[in-house]
Amino acid sequence: MSLHPGTAAKRKAPDSQHADNPAKVRRRSPTRVNPALYLFPLPAVAVVAFFLVMPTLQAFQYAITDWNGFSAAFNYVGLDNFIRAFTKDSLFTNALTNNLKFVLLVVIAQTAFSLVLALLLTKNSRGSILLRALFFFPTILSSVSVAFIWKFIYDPNFGLANSVLGAVGIDGGSYLGNDAQALYWVAVTQVWFHAGQMMVVYIAGLQAIPRELYEAAEMDGANKWQQFKSITWPFVAPATSIVVAYTTVQSFKAFDLILGIAGNPPKAALDILSTRIYSTFANSEFGYAAAQSIIFMAMIALVTWLQRRLLRLTPKGD
Amino acid sequence: MSQISRRQAMAILGALGFGATAAACAGPGGSTAPGGASGPAAPSTGAVTGKVSFAHWRGEDKAVFDELIKRFAAKHSGVEVAQDISTSNDYNAQALQKLRGGSIGDAFATFRGAQFKNFTEAGIYTELKDSQAVKNYQKGLLSAGQNGDSQLGLPYQVVFPMPMANLDIFDKAGAETAPKTWDAFLGMCEKLASAGVIPISWPGGDVGNGGQLFNCMIANNAPVDDMCAQIEQGKLKVTDDWFIKMLNQYKDLVPYLQPNATGTAVEPAQNLFSQGKAAMLATGSYHIAAVRGLGAKFPIDLVFPNTSSDGKAKYEGVYNATFILGVNSASKNQAAAAAWIDFLSEPENAGYYANQTAQHVSVDKVEYTNPDLKRLSPWLQKKTALAARFQFNNLDVRNAVEASATAVISGTSPEQAAAAAQKIVDERL
Repeated sequence: MSLHPGTAAKRKAPDSQHADNPAKVRRRSPTRVNPALYLFPLPAVAVVAFFLVMPTLQAFQYAITDWNGFSAAFNYVGLDNFIRAFTKDSLFTNALTNNLKFVLLVVIAQTAFSLVLALLLTKNSRGSILLRALFFFPTILSSVSVAFIWKFIYDPNFGLANSVLGAVGIDGGSYLGNDAQALYWVAVTQVWFHAGQMMVVYIAGLQAIPRELYEAAEMDGANKWQQFKSITWPFVAPATSIVVAYTTVQSFKAFDLILGIAGNPPKAALDILSTRIYSTFANSEFGYAAAQSIIFMAMIALVTWLQRRLLRLTPKGD
Repeated sequence: MSQISRRQAMAILGALGFGATAAACAGPGGSTAPGGASGPAAPSTGAVTGKVSFAHWRGEDKAVFDELIKRFAAKHSGVEVAQDISTSNDYNAQALQKLRGGSIGDAFATFRGAQFKNFTEAGIYTELKDSQAVKNYQKGLLSAGQNGDSQLGLPYQVVFPMPMANLDIFDKAGAETAPKTWDAFLGMCEKLASAGVIPISWPGGDVGNGGQLFNCMIANNAPVDDMCAQIEQGKLKVTDDWFIKMLNQYKDLVPYLQPNATGTAVEPAQNLFSQGKAAMLATGSYHIAAVRGLGAKFPIDLVFPNTSSDGKAKYEGVYNATFILGVNSASKNQAAAAAWIDFLSEPENAGYYANQTAQHVSVDKVEYTNPDLKRLSPWLQKKTALAARFQFNNLDVRNAVEASATAVISGTSPEQAAAAAQKIVDERL
């Protein structure tokens, strides 16, 4: 179908005007917006710049000083603070070891426990919904409340744990008082605190798996384990990715839980990186504490990245 | 209004980013409070009016201070005092940063030791040596607030960080309350244990309170009075014989502590004592009000774990002068803040505070009417050592040294525990 010659001539007219003045010819993107719109993100950019970018950059600067946090005078010490952290500070390396151990314990236990809970409570029956709410309940408590609840559960004299064990004729333990076990008991608290939250993430993932896949697998004679291995686990991989990453970061930063349960400063057996950094700040070593914070930041990034690679939750190149 | 171009928009965003980066690159330490250890100025004078922020950590004393604030306001119309209370741990960690701006803590309190030193170096204090308040204090108790010739703070409370004793249990067990030697002290514990009670309730799971026993144990064992300062400076070592001897004495205490003592928090330890299940609470006189609050009706005295082997100990007990009152050099209402400190330091008001909170004060001519304070008053006249743990300025060193005692109670050998602590001390020399 041909256009009316007159119409074509009218449509061409603007182009012919520009053709007369080539300097004015500009390619105009159909998605081009008013430049003033670029100012709309300005408040958000300002907030991020002021509260995130600036303090982060400052931390890098403070990390190469010996500033005590209040004096006008300070010296630049280069990488000394970083070298000290890894070679001359057994409290820092102890906190690092504790933290990695704590993260490993909590990530494995919390991921497994929340997945098991989710598998048991996926169906939207009344009982399941009630139990989901029950398991989710600890999440809405403040971490300080959780810390105090468990501090008294673990108390060797009046605590619930030893009272229950005593009632059935078993001698209780010292729990947090036993340096070899203390970290594991705090890990139990952390899992109790957050497993319900992670369970919800898994339930969302499980409910998105098409039923037909299980029906087909059953027809092919797959048992429950084979169904889990070949259908459930691959399909909940994105949820696992979220659970593992979130639990890792959460466990690295279990600051308030540790301080609440172990006091300030916590003893060496319960000292993790965030509490160590806080102790260093409180000890008026701001420069050194800033260096520890940067190591902490790098550590979280590295561990999270390694986890995603090892668990194959992120394909190469993503 | 003319339209902004894309280039202009990007320039604004770029300038913002550059500004943030430049601001981040500003060197630390740019804003120090006025004053300083070399020459602090006296608080400015003027009308006693306006708002005064009083920063401290004694939440349990809030009601008593509220009453004193009412009396102060009745004396000076137009003045308001608001308490800014943090927990002791938070106060220890954050008070310096909070007070530097001057909007919080026109008047404030500090702990003796590291916190006082940091506040002094940061120039937070004003000079109080010519103030009205200082004349009301017992001279011998002012040293904890001094820096050189300056009287920067006024140590308000006198506490005895020694085990408190349930005298009823002691009477029943026939145990003496003033053992002159370590063997006599252990004999006393044995009698109490034979009477079917826990001799000592010790909050080993609480670093702050558990560490108070350290003051008693080290007082007569150390070769010098500034032993903790010398440990921190590397002049003395915790692997020295005298310190190992002290750790062995800690080991001697194990059978007389409650089971799983290293996992016991302070509240359960107080409960064991207030319920009469334990004969002593190894924290200090500052817990009298708390155990009374928990229902303890029995008469309370103090017992000094005398570590002497020959009965010729230098000290009969330990004390601490703390809750050091000061006026903030960054405050915009120093006149009213100083007047508040003067008011608290008057014998009548200090007496009210002491009797209501069951804590002795450093203010002279105070009449103690509280029965517990009356019973403990003889300790004010005894030869007592200033609590040693507050000589530590580095909190990591203090915690490591005190943790060696906890480790021994957990079963570690004194030599191993001392070596582990010395490693941390050496790393911080």
